[in-house]
Amino acid sequence: MGSPFHEQVRSAMTTPGITQRRAAGTGSAGAAEPLSGESAPATSLLAGYELGAAYDEMFDRDERPRPHYQQLAQLLDRTPPEEFRRRKAMTDLSMRQDGVGFTVYRADEGIERVWPMDPVPRIIPADEWQHIEAGLVQRITALNMFLWDVYHEQQILRDRVVPPRLVLQGSSFRREFVGVDVPRKIYIHICGTDLIRAVDGEYLVLEDNGRTPSGVSYMLQNRQVLKRVFPSLFNDYDVLPNDDYPAALLDVLQYIAPESAATPTAVLLSPGMYNSAYFEHSFLAQRMGIELVEGRDLLVDANRVFMRTTRGLQRVDVIYRRIDDDFLDPLTFRPDSVLGVPGLVNAYRAGNVALANSIGTGIADDKGIYPFVPDMIRYYLKQDPILNNVETFRPEVPEHMQHVLANLDSLVVKRVNESGGYGMLVGPASTAEQREEFRRAIRANPRDFIAQPTIQLSTHPTFVDGRLEGRHLDLRPFVLCGERVVVTPGGLTRVALPKGSLVVNSSQGGGSKDTWILAQTGRT
Amino acid sequence: MLSRVADALFWTGRYLERSACLARAVDVTFSLDLDLHGVLSNPVELEWNALLSMLRQAPPQPGDSEHPVAAVQRWLLVDLGNPGSVMSCVNRARNNARSIRGSISPPMWRELNKLHWRLSDGTFQAAVAESPHDFCDEAQVGVLLCHGVCDATMSHDEGWHFIQLGTYLERADKVLRLLDSKFGLLERGDAVDLPVRNLQWGAVLRQCRAYEAYQRLYISRVEPERVVEFLLANPDFPNSVRFCLERVLDSLTEISGRLPGRCDGDAMRTLGSLVSELTYLDGEELDGERLHGLLGNALVRCGRIGHLLQQQYALH
Repeated sequence: MGSPFHEQVRSAMTTPGITQRRAAGTGSAGAAEPLSGESAPATSLLAGYELGAAYDEMFDRDERPRPHYQQLAQLLDRTPPEEFRRRKAMTDLSMRQDGVGFTVYRADEGIERVWPMDPVPRIIPADEWQHIEAGLVQRITALNMFLWDVYHEQQILRDRVVPPRLVLQGSSFRREFVGVDVPRKIYIHICGTDLIRAVDGEYLVLEDNGRTPSGVSYMLQNRQVLKRVFPSLFNDYDVLPNDDYPAALLDVLQYIAPESAATPTAVLLSPGMYNSAYFEHSFLAQRMGIELVEGRDLLVDANRVFMRTTRGLQRVDVIYRRIDDDFLDPLTFRPDSVLGVPGLVNAYRAGNVALANSIGTGIADDKGIYPFVPDMIRYYLKQDPILNNVETFRPEVPEHMQHVLANLDSLVVKRVNESGGYGMLVGPASTAEQREEFRRAIRANPRDFIAQPTIQLSTHPTFVDGRLEGRHLDLRPFVLCGERVVVTPGGLTRVALPKGSLVVNSSQGGGSKDTWILAQTGRT
Repeated sequence: MLSRVADALFWTGRYLERSACLARAVDVTFSLDLDLHGVLSNPVELEWNALLSMLRQAPPQPGDSEHPVAAVQRWLLVDLGNPGSVMSCVNRARNNARSIRGSISPPMWRELNKLHWRLSDGTFQAAVAESPHDFCDEAQVGVLLCHGVCDATMSHDEGWHFIQLGTYLERADKVLRLLDSKFGLLERGDAVDLPVRNLQWGAVLRQCRAYEAYQRLYISRVEPERVVEFLLANPDFPNSVRFCLERVLDSLTEISGRLPGRCDGDAMRTLGSLVSELTYLDGEELDGERLHGLLGNALVRCGRIGHLLQQQYALH
């Protein structure tokens, strides 16, 4: 029996490409000891792995593993499919026993789904991460400056860098909040930015989620479970830990507390256990040690917020709210909301309670504003954007309109006021009838739409039907903005599980992956 | 702590205990049923009907070609149409715990979750038709594990005490109900022969997991009066009514923040007087009507304590 270490060194020099692997089963690593100590697998997990038109995270165009994936590719090559299937089952069981799930709604009934994780991790090398990190810091800085500006002097609108009408008539612009000073001038404290990779591998920003982004608990849970069920994966890599997120979030919450609160009480406001992200709410509250409250637990008296406890009322200073603006306070926004707290907005205006995120951030991640984020960065920071947007056409610009209408079958058209995949036309998958419907709608209200080329999201080997196949994925890193901007090393990688699908949404059957950011001076 | 959280902790404890008590009752009845088969003419209906009437439930309608006893077992153990079944109680405990996940320790949540998934397994449930033992055992052990993990991993602070309140109040209530339902058996006295009496009162002890503890103390045949005294007033045995209510009193004292012995509200007053009655119980009192009165009165007061707690701590 050769030592595993020796084996790794030897095979590292003769890493097989996909073609060899396909031909010889285990390729030149056929003599390698599989991890389990059983005989070498008859077929490799990676046998017959196909590269499509998209950028593949693991393999380059010549079907050889990229440098930072070499060790992982070898390990996968040595792991019998049955062994891998067992690990995948352990992953699911672990998620189920921990009660890690989300709720999907069907016919009035909330159904608990177990969080699906693919055990093959997604790896991002240090230099790529530094680029992403710098880009995200730049972006959130500009977005927060933009929000302060549009809710105060509106200089960027006067300078016509962003068309005023797009902001002032945007459905998520809260004119009630013009002139209100938010604590520490921060509007977006927690941001989950969706990144995708173009065919050439460039990271592009697909959208900024600056309202109540979710997913961070799954990022943390994925790591915990992968460490438990597949520890050997970590042997060859220096993976940066992501576990600091809850502590960093608590730092932010305490940083924005009203000055009057000597020892501020922070709470997490959740719609309750039937919300699809309830697991995340309870997870974060517990990791931070703060109370998980629902609207009915809070009340406002003389513009101050209290929670009902077994010892009477207790003052609340900071609310990490996971309820949308619309439902936050029935006195200010939707009067039919039973999730919110009557009077909360006035308490916030009076500076007696802090909210994260602030009210009105939706205008910054509005799809109609998105095309202008690069201009904001230039305007406020006098810098060039580090991360580019996906190319976006605005039909209200006449040349764009022409291009959009002529290319409906290849573009993705989105309504600016909708999110979550609603109101979209995916050109290549559309019928002539749907295109005609959009053509009419775009002509009638050009400013309600944007259009983008259909991007082939990058692919990554993913365990499907007993072997690894390429599946499309995206990346949602999490950015915290308090005393300083912190980008947690990692993110939520979501995977579209059906072959060829570009929809990574977990409610649509998407999966996920642990996301590894490698240390600068790693062994790899 | 939040009143809503205190409420959910209280009910998590209560429903968990309720499921364990019922699982034990079904398990013991099943076993007693097999024992009595040879000695009594119609033990089956007698014992199962006694259990149903203790639970204040009507006999369920058997399915096609389903034995009536199998129907009762299914109804009491796995039927979600019965809000008091073991499965329903575990689901309710889990739902309460889920609504306040941040306030119980992750290991406790995990244990409760595992229990839920094990008992929900279709194949496992189907086996109840042949013998309910495995299901009952799994439920009881699962609940014990939850308690153990809870005690070992949660701070014994206010929240933990609310779980204790629910757990011990429920257990005291169930033991009282059991004794109350066996009162008729006690009255009939010598009408049945000794081995049968031994079996029946042994079953009462087993339902409270008290058989061995009783034997150790009395080293004699199972005497109904002693069984009643033991289960009502023994100070050391964790399933005696007195032991349970003393724990409730302890937790209530901790929650109130008062010194021991200082009364805080009607719940504590009602509880304290009941505990002292049991503490200074006169064995002579355990005959006939006076016992009947004592049991009935204790049950009413246990119910009242629950209501008063809800008022005092604004539980929902």
